[in-house]
Amino acid sequence: MGTAGWIVVAAIVVIVLFVVMLYNGLVAGRNQVEAAWRQIDVQLKRRRDLVPNLVEAVKGYMGHEQDTLQAVIKARSAAVSAESGPREGQIQAEAALSGALGRLFALSESYPDLKANQNVMQLQEELTSTENKIAFSRQHYNDSVMAQNTRVESFPAVLVAGSMGFAKHPYFEATEQDREVPQVKLR
Amino acid sequence: MPIGPWDTSRETPRNGPWGQHEPAQGGGPSPDAAPADPAAPDPATDVMRPPPVRLTRTDFLAAIAANKRNTEILCAVLILIGVVAGGGIGWALPILTGADPAMAIRTGLGAAGFMLVFSLAWTLIATSFGDKMVLGLTGAREVPRAEAPVLHNVVEEMSIAAGLPMPRVAIVETDALNAFATGTRPDHAAIAVTRGLLNRLTRDELQGVVAHEMGHVANNDVLYMTAVGVMVGLIVVVNDLALRSVRFVDTRSGSNRNKNGGLIVVAILVLVAIGLLAPLAARAVQMAVSRQREYLADATSVKLTRNPIGLIGALRKLDRADVRWDNASKAVQHLFIVNPFKKFGESASALMATHPSVEQRIERLQALGA
Repeated sequence: MGTAGWIVVAAIVVIVLFVVMLYNGLVAGRNQVEAAWRQIDVQLKRRRDLVPNLVEAVKGYMGHEQDTLQAVIKARSAAVSAESGPREGQIQAEAALSGALGRLFALSESYPDLKANQNVMQLQEELTSTENKIAFSRQHYNDSVMAQNTRVESFPAVLVAGSMGFAKHPYFEATEQDREVPQVKLR
Repeated sequence: MPIGPWDTSRETPRNGPWGQHEPAQGGGPSPDAAPADPAAPDPATDVMRPPPVRLTRTDFLAAIAANKRNTEILCAVLILIGVVAGGGIGWALPILTGADPAMAIRTGLGAAGFMLVFSLAWTLIATSFGDKMVLGLTGAREVPRAEAPVLHNVVEEMSIAAGLPMPRVAIVETDALNAFATGTRPDHAAIAVTRGLLNRLTRDELQGVVAHEMGHVANNDVLYMTAVGVMVGLIVVVNDLALRSVRFVDTRSGSNRNKNGGLIVVAILVLVAIGLLAPLAARAVQMAVSRQREYLADATSVKLTRNPIGLIGALRKLDRADVRWDNASKAVQHLFIVNPFKKFGESASALMATHPSVEQRIERLQALGA
C-alpha cells in the first residue's frame, strides 16, 4: 500500500473514531435528560403523597375555605390520573396542582392558629421543600435538555443525529395559569 | 428585602411561581412592585442595584470554562516550580561539596524527576483519605435527617439542582459562621455548616451557602485544592532543607572552593534564590488557585439557585460576624466559604489571601444576577 493508501486508512479511522465519540456523547446526553425527568417524577409523586396529609391537617382550621381545599383535592386526583398519560398532559396537571397549593398556602397566612400546630408546620416545611425540589429538578431537566438540544443541533452532529434516532427534547415550561400570582382576599 | 430589580423570573419565565423561594413566601413580588423602587431610593436598594455589566447565560458558561483553564495553568506552574526547585537544589548541593560538574547535572535531573514522581504519589495518598482527615480536623459531626430536617432538605434540593448524589450532612458545634465541603469525588462528598450559621441565616441564605459548597463538590475543587496544598507543602519542606544545607556547607567546606570557585558562587546564589523564592511563588500560586475556585463556586451557587440575593445576604452576615473560630485547622482554611482566620476587611487582592474579599465577591455576584 502506498502513502496515499495509508492516508485514506488514517482518515477513515479518524472519521470512525469521531462518529463513535459523537454517538457516545449523544447517548450520555439523552440518558441524563431521562434521569433528570425521572427525578422530577420522584418529587411530583412525593408531593402527591403529602397533599392528602396536609388537607387533613388544615381542614379543622380552614373550614371556611372549602372551595380552595376542594380545588387542591381535585387538582391532586387529576395529577394522579394524568401520571400514566402523555408527558404534556402530566405537565399541565402538575402545574394546576402547583397553582392550587400556592393559593392554599397564601390563604393559610391569615390563619395564625395554623402556625401553632407543630404537625402542620412540619408538613408545610416538607411541602415547601418538595416544591423547591420540583423546581430544582425541573431546572436541572431544562439544563440537561438545553445541553442535549445544543448537541443534537450543532454541526456536524445535526447531519447524523436524526438518522441515529436523536431528537430534540421538549422543555418543561410553566403554563399561563402557573405564572399567575395567587390573589389573596383579606377579610 | 426589595428584590424588584432582581426579579429574574421576569427574564427567565420558566422560573415562574415554581421558583424556589416563592412558594415559601406565598407568591413572589408582583411585577407592579418593580417601578416603585426607583421612586424610593434608600441606601439598601442602591447597593442592590445591578451594575451596568450584563452577563447572559452564555457568559456564565464561558466564565466557568475560563476559571477551569486558569486553574489548570496555575497547577502546571506549581509542578514546574517544584521540578525546577528540585533540579536546582540537586545540581547546586554536589557543586558545593566539590563534586564533578557533569555529575552535578545528573543529580540535578534526578532530583527534578524525584520531585515529579514524589509529588504525584503524595497527592494520590492525600486525595484518598482527604475527606475523613478534613472532617476530623474540623470536628464536624454527621447528623441524621431527623435532627436537622431543614438543613437536610436544603442540601437535597441543591444536590437535585446540580444533578449529583446527595452528600452527607455534618454540623460543627461553634458559634462562628462558616461552612465547607469535603470529599475528593462527587459521590463521596460531605457538606458541613457551623451551628452559628444554622441559627443566624434565613432559609434562602442557607441555600446560597449550601449551593456554594455544592459548587465546590460539582467542580471537584476539593481534589484540586488537596493536591495543590500537598505540592506546596512539599516545595516548602524541600526548600527549607536546602536553605539549611547552604549554611551547613558554607561554613565547613572552605577547602573545596579552590576546585571550582566560580561555580560554587553560582550554586550558592541558585540555592538562596530557590530557597527564598520558590516557597513564596508556590504559596502565591496556591492562593491564586483558591481565589479562582471561590469565584467559580459563587458563580455555580447562582447557577443552582438562580437567586444571587441569598448568597449575597449570607456573605454580608458572614462578613459582619465577629465570632472567630480558633479551633479550625490552618491546613483546611481554603475549604471554607470565608477564611476563618483573616479579618475580612483586609485587601483581598493580596497575593497570599485564600479568599477574595467579600466586597469583590458580592460585586461579581451582582454582575451575574443582572
